[in-house]
Amino acid sequence: MLTVTGLRKSFGQSLAVNDVDLQVRKGSVFGFVGPNGAGKTTTLSMVTGLLRPDAGTVSVAGADVWRDPTTAKRSIGVLPDRMRLFDRLTGAQMLYYCAVLHGIDRETARSRTDDLATALGLDGSLDRPVRDYSIGMVKKVSLAAALIHSPTVLVLDEPFESVDPVSTAQAVELLKRFAAAGGTVVLSSHNMNLVERVCDSVAVIVGGRILAAGTLDEVRGAQSLEDRFVELAGGRVAVEGLEWLTTFSD
Amino acid sequence: MVDHILRLKLALLASAFRPGGALARTAGVLLLAGSVGAAMIWLSSEVDVTLAAHRAAIVIIATAVSIGIAVAPLSAGLGSALEPRRFSAFPIPPRELALGLGAAAAIGLPGLLAALLGISLERAWAGEPTAAAAVVGGVLGAITVVIVSQYLVVVGDQLSVSTAARRTVTAVARTVIAVALASAVATVLLVVADDGTEQLIDTAAVLANTPMGMLWAAPGDDGAPMVARLLAGLLMVVVLALGWGAIVARLLESPQRTRADAPRSSLGWFDLVPATPSGVIAARSLLYWTSDPRYRFVLLGLPLAPVVMMLAFAVAGAPLPPLWLLPLPVLALFLGWFSHNDVAYDHSAVWLHVAAPFRGASDRWGRAVPPLLIGVPVILAVAPLFALWSGVDEVLPALIGTSLGLLLTGLGVSSVSSAIGAYPAARPGAGPFDQPPSLEARAGWSQALSLLAILMFMGPTFVLVWWGFDDEQWFAVAGIAGSATGVGMLLLGILAGGRAFRRRAPELLDLMLRT
Repeated sequence: MLTVTGLRKSFGQSLAVNDVDLQVRKGSVFGFVGPNGAGKTTTLSMVTGLLRPDAGTVSVAGADVWRDPTTAKRSIGVLPDRMRLFDRLTGAQMLYYCAVLHGIDRETARSRTDDLATALGLDGSLDRPVRDYSIGMVKKVSLAAALIHSPTVLVLDEPFESVDPVSTAQAVELLKRFAAAGGTVVLSSHNMNLVERVCDSVAVIVGGRILAAGTLDEVRGAQSLEDRFVELAGGRVAVEGLEWLTTFSD
Repeated sequence: MVDHILRLKLALLASAFRPGGALARTAGVLLLAGSVGAAMIWLSSEVDVTLAAHRAAIVIIATAVSIGIAVAPLSAGLGSALEPRRFSAFPIPPRELALGLGAAAAIGLPGLLAALLGISLERAWAGEPTAAAAVVGGVLGAITVVIVSQYLVVVGDQLSVSTAARRTVTAVARTVIAVALASAVATVLLVVADDGTEQLIDTAAVLANTPMGMLWAAPGDDGAPMVARLLAGLLMVVVLALGWGAIVARLLESPQRTRADAPRSSLGWFDLVPATPSGVIAARSLLYWTSDPRYRFVLLGLPLAPVVMMLAFAVAGAPLPPLWLLPLPVLALFLGWFSHNDVAYDHSAVWLHVAAPFRGASDRWGRAVPPLLIGVPVILAVAPLFALWSGVDEVLPALIGTSLGLLLTGLGVSSVSSAIGAYPAARPGAGPFDQPPSLEARAGWSQALSLLAILMFMGPTFVLVWWGFDDEQWFAVAGIAGSATGVGMLLLGILAGGRAFRRRAPELLDLMLRT
């Protein structure tokens, strides 16, 4: 459903993403994990057509994201990390805006807004401007905005950061239903427990390279995903030289 | 606790003198307050209380000025006002807070002016038999003004449930001050001209029996009325002070009023536009033009620009009438050119446009709607007036054509330049004068080239207008040429800009993310 081959991106001297290949099956929930600065956001931005790669191809549902962006973007729902929204719009205006930009008509946009508001626990907040939202609320509205045009592939960058457990559970439920019905989800996260619970396949990226990819069981083996991840990311570094931290001042 | 609040008040006052944009405003406010204070002291030495008209004038002027002083804290906007509820999160006993806020209100310009008003009353009556009453009346009057101003701050804050309401409160307060000062000045002029003094005496007699004027009128009577007014004034001060304590205590307990929720079904501008990408982008643009300070600054500047221009010409001694032809085209040029960096104003929120599969031209159209909606009606409405004032015959079509041409060409050029020549701009949420963290050389190039391009495309029209001053027939031709240039360049610009936007969208987003 989502195929990435030879994706590469450098910023100045540093190679942020180095020959990344990914295969994501239809109907799977794919976890993309890696330490800070490993190239997760850069990769996902290139996958969704927001950042132009130096080399490599991305194809979504058979359409090349960089050669035929209009077709590809119709089937992608995006939740980028650390990007603004038009925050003077209210939540309802925001969702309507996204829906219409994707070619949804007025009535459908309105009814889907209501459905998503109920499903994600946004009821009662949609008439406030997005700038008044907490970070978790912004994430929820962004998730709703990514879903509103019923894409076939969802690409979510840190969708559950700062989201409360209840809403996370609701959203996870929604994503699982989406995948069960044939949708495809790619999400990045730092939360290994969550990835283990939600995803059926994972890829671990460190320093711009994919170090492991496959189904959850293939990647973690006999360990927990967290231990396997720490091992791949370079292992735990013994903490030394912080004696002052354990000698309290009083 | 009281001294804490006083220290806070002094810090707030000192902050008005910090270098920056607020300093000019501080200077203006100080100048106004200084003039009012000086005028009161001067009047108090000039006035002759043996004359009925002068006595009446004292009552009227003191009442007017005291009303002005009482609303003064509201006129500065409620941003810096010490409103009781702001302290509700701190464990301050309500009585101490009430006392502290009252004392803090006495410090600062309104308090100073209230004191000067009281002193002026005493000076006016100095040496007369009722001088003692003037002292008591002045002191009570000044205290009343200060406490009432605190009540008004509370009321104003209660009313300020939305931004619009807050602005209304400020605007009403400023109007009240202007009217109060104007009536005080008018009273002085009437007394000096010795005209209509009977009405003044009647008015003063009415005011003397109201809470607003009774203290200022107290020294004007002997015996029982004087004592009655002073006692009533004392009672008023006591009631106000006790009431203030009760209000502060209550405000600290009651929850903040918030804006009522808009009806669920309303999406504002979005309900009025077609459900197409260009429609919603136009609605979103309109919402930003009307609510974002970076855009609103333009809206506020537009009506001022012609006035300032004509004033400058008048001061320079230029021949005025034909110059009325200039402001409108300049305004149109500026309005069209203003959008030349529109994408940068979205900052990284532009990802929503990058990630969605719609045509670039839709984006360009949507962004062009607010300036068109503002500019075209203004041009059509104002042009006949300016053409008439200019005294140049048959110039109207040329004025309309040139202005429309500049606006539309400007929007066409902006459509292209905001896609290919974007540069970092003030971020969302910043003020209109805030500069981006890094201003590169490309900003200057982009500004200059887009402006130059507009003027170049409109060059032929300018030549035709120039000929028109020799032969009126060219004015009509210039009008058609200007409009045609505008429409053509707008269409061309939107198509070219749309393609460029789609092609360069990832790079635009990248630029926004890096700043």
